[in-house]
Amino acid sequence: MKTDFTPFTPTQNPPSQAPLTPWGVYAAWQRNARVYQATWLVNSLPPLSEPLIYLVAFGYGLTPLVGEISYYGTTVDYLRFLAPGMMGIGVLFQSYSEGAYASYLRLDYQKTWHAILTTPLTFSEVFTGELLWAATKGMIAALATGLLAILWGLMSITTLVLSIPLLLLGSVAFAGAGLLTAGLVRTIDQINVPIYLLIVPMFTLCGTYFPRETLPSPLLEVAGLLPLSLLVDLLRWPLGLPDHLPWALLGLLGWAIASIFLAWRTIYPRLFR
Amino acid sequence: MVLQADDLWKTYGDRSVVRGVSFSLAAGEVLGFLGANGAGKTTTVGMLYGAVIPSRGQVTVDGFNVRSQGRRARQIMGVVTQEDNLDPDFSVFDNLRYFASFYGITGRAAQQRASELLEQVGLGDYARHRVDQLSGGLKRRLVLARALINRPRLVFLDEPTTGLDPDARQDFWRLVTQLKQAGCGVLLTTHYMDEAQRLCDRLLLLQKGQVINSGTPLDLIHSTIGEEVIEVDGMQEEQLQPLLTQFQTWGRLVGVHYLIAVPPKRGDELWEYLSDRHPAGLSRRRANLEDVFLRLTGHSLDEN
Repeated sequence: MKTDFTPFTPTQNPPSQAPLTPWGVYAAWQRNARVYQATWLVNSLPPLSEPLIYLVAFGYGLTPLVGEISYYGTTVDYLRFLAPGMMGIGVLFQSYSEGAYASYLRLDYQKTWHAILTTPLTFSEVFTGELLWAATKGMIAALATGLLAILWGLMSITTLVLSIPLLLLGSVAFAGAGLLTAGLVRTIDQINVPIYLLIVPMFTLCGTYFPRETLPSPLLEVAGLLPLSLLVDLLRWPLGLPDHLPWALLGLLGWAIASIFLAWRTIYPRLFR
Repeated sequence: MVLQADDLWKTYGDRSVVRGVSFSLAAGEVLGFLGANGAGKTTTVGMLYGAVIPSRGQVTVDGFNVRSQGRRARQIMGVVTQEDNLDPDFSVFDNLRYFASFYGITGRAAQQRASELLEQVGLGDYARHRVDQLSGGLKRRLVLARALINRPRLVFLDEPTTGLDPDARQDFWRLVTQLKQAGCGVLLTTHYMDEAQRLCDRLLLLQKGQVINSGTPLDLIHSTIGEEVIEVDGMQEEQLQPLLTQFQTWGRLVGVHYLIAVPPKRGDELWEYLSDRHPAGLSRRRANLEDVFLRLTGHSLDEN
């Protein structure tokens, strides 16, 4: 009987030697998408239930107290102010946690990166696939929140569609920060350090639930530089266009580039000695 | 040659863990790296498949440089690493099916290949199992099956049977033999002598990052030790040392007994001489790779 172990003869179409190919990135991204797909019902719960709970709780709980809010010269309903903030939080939590926790597990515990890197995929492709998958998780959360906001009458479909590039930029920035965390920590418990020193303060202080203008100086200035503030300010473009918006865009881009660059620099030496 | 390594060095700080390793491997050949823990086996293998960046030297796989043409080189190789890095998020079958996609094998072709391999390694009944439901031996088989998903021309097996029971090791050896018969080049690292002797056409003995000897298992045994060895218990080293000089042979204290290479021409004479002294224990057996290793490195493979 002819054995199945017979080696292949060399391929007629040799693979590209470019370090980053769309096929390679897609293959790495798809590995994670397949895991997600297998348990999609469970996985779709957090991005849908979390914003729904917040919108219901704050909608019925705080709106009677807060009523309307003044945002850069415009008076808006509290829930219309809150909805873009909730999208930003969805991006932050989902992209960051996928990059930090899940990628760390695949890097350090499961050694999934190591296994894939024995195949024709390159480090650039595996890294980019992981980054884009973490960003995809953020996008899923943001779009689910946006759809709820549309159904609630807090946002138009056009607003959501036009906000997609901003959501993508924010997702990539937080995915990069997550991967940077995965590259830096040596035990899973250490991920709590950036969570409590950076993520939770951002979640509460970046103007997601209330306008940052009420914060005292210098907290106001510091909070204004954090990436979630920049993202949420950008996502509130239909409500008001503050002067600093172009700087917010550049700032968020800067956060994204810096976090991706540093993540790359920290993860590479963990895979190649 | 399916694999060519030229003057490989790996240095961490001022410590060189691999020092000038060169060798080649032909298709259908099983080459063994034999060495104690810390001898540099895994680091060398890492340089061969690209996980460790050499400080000096280069590796080519079927003519493709592993550093500059890594994608093409990895297209034709399979790697069984020391640690199980199977994907716990997928079933046994999906571990193979989805891994195939990294080689551009998708859809029906991937499913067919995954099924073939599971049958081949005896995991057909476990296709729907989760990876964590498999025993250690079955996991190693799955790692091997995964390494073969692309029908590689070269397979790296880095201590593939560590921790396996004797039956599982036998099964694994059968699969390696089949690979060799199919024309695949196999590079095996091990610290099991029986494994090296049984599977390898040729061996490289590593110590402190250097190749200290190489050859077929039998050549190495005959050229280093000879046909047989004698093990003596209960005699003082002071009594035995003059004997070694007298019979122009090699001997060494190993644990509680003394090991002496039987000189080819005066073996019976040495045996009778020792028998006449009625030591507490005296036995004569065929020399093996462990004896070779002891003579060349001064310590046993099991010593760390």
